[in-house]
Amino acid sequence: MKSTDSSKMTALRIALMAVLTATVVVFTLLVRVPTPIKGYISLCDVVITFSAFLFGPWVAAIAGGLGTGIADLIGGYAQWAPLSFVIHGAQGLLIAVIARSGIKTGVPGDANILKLVLAGVVGMVVMAGGYYIAGGVLYGFEAALVEIPLNLLQSGVGVVLGIAVSRAVLKAYPPVRSLSL
Amino acid sequence: MTTSTFVAGRGFLYIFDARAKLFTVLLLCVMVFLPIRQIGLWTLVAAAFLSAWYATDFKQALQPIKTILFLLVVMILFTPLTYRGGEVLVRLGEFPLVTKEALVNLNILVARFLGITYICTLYMWTTPMADINLALRWYGLSYHAALVLTLAFRFVPYIADSFRMIQDSHALRSATVADGERTGGRQRLADVMPTVTAALVVALKSIPHLAMSLEHRGLGRDTKRTSYRRLVAKGGLFTHLLVSVMIPTVFWLVFNTL
Repeated sequence: MKSTDSSKMTALRIALMAVLTATVVVFTLLVRVPTPIKGYISLCDVVITFSAFLFGPWVAAIAGGLGTGIADLIGGYAQWAPLSFVIHGAQGLLIAVIARSGIKTGVPGDANILKLVLAGVVGMVVMAGGYYIAGGVLYGFEAALVEIPLNLLQSGVGVVLGIAVSRAVLKAYPPVRSLSL
Repeated sequence: MTTSTFVAGRGFLYIFDARAKLFTVLLLCVMVFLPIRQIGLWTLVAAAFLSAWYATDFKQALQPIKTILFLLVVMILFTPLTYRGGEVLVRLGEFPLVTKEALVNLNILVARFLGITYICTLYMWTTPMADINLALRWYGLSYHAALVLTLAFRFVPYIADSFRMIQDSHALRSATVADGERTGGRQRLADVMPTVTAALVVALKSIPHLAMSLEHRGLGRDTKRTSYRRLVAKGGLFTHLLVSVMIPTVFWLVFNTL
């Protein structure tokens, strides 16, 4: 009986990580919001924040890291894939760890809004800072400065929408709590 | 939505074993950060570009430059302004606009970035995704991690199609907004919310079904029902790995500045 429960958990965990990874890929490549400077920001951070708030650190780290890494590979930015894996993985992990701290039952998304915002801000700093360092090593710290505002905007939108969407999904699809590991 | 990055072509890179090729990519990416002559860096970029041209075609070979063009322009604009030391080449009044040291640094940064971009892109173009997964397995990626990777690739088109359908149905509902009508940033984000929520719920609903399918396929049982195929290297894996070490070593011996 014990082994059956463990295999069920393994299957559910693998399914959860695979589907959320694919969702991060789709939200990175397909879902884009135009910005005033005629550029686009992707909504991958929304799914990363959402995964962190509903499914905890490991699922968020794998889905965020692997999803953005795959999106870089498919999108023609293969050189960024390992860096995105580490940066977005750390972003998802930290958001979930901070949001979950002190919560005994339920999902990390049940925490009060201030804690969720704090977790999101830490995620923003990790993402923008991570890409600045990675960009600095790859093509110089001066040129990498240009990307900071856009990365902060993208991750900021990710936090705002991530909080809103996780609350909306908890209401629209309550069985999601049973998927939380 | 196409998830494959493989580009059908010709040449040595298509025969080169995925595991040995991955090792070469890693070594070359490390090598460009070591003390190496500028001519060496540009030789590497030229070799990678010519390999891409030979393997595919000229238009395809230019693709990586197009993807990083914006960053290259930013580098060319900003890097010279931040290096003030050295011999001044261009001056704007009292302000030294371009120095020799700045140009040397810019040259190294551009060559390094182009080199890494081409090396990584060439690997993705010349190696099928399934072989990359198998190569990672050979390097120690666990069975479960490889399964997550494979399943994620399988689910991308499904979730992308679902998202487009949801987006279309929501677009039909908001027919009150005329085409081309300008909306503010907050409004744009608010418009995205219902679509994103619905798409996430659709994705989440597929998780229990997938988990059940995995269990029925025997995941977690002692007797394995499926296994990955083995990669076969023509001429032996040792030869391929030897070549993978030789390429960066020769480059290093010829162009290092030590």
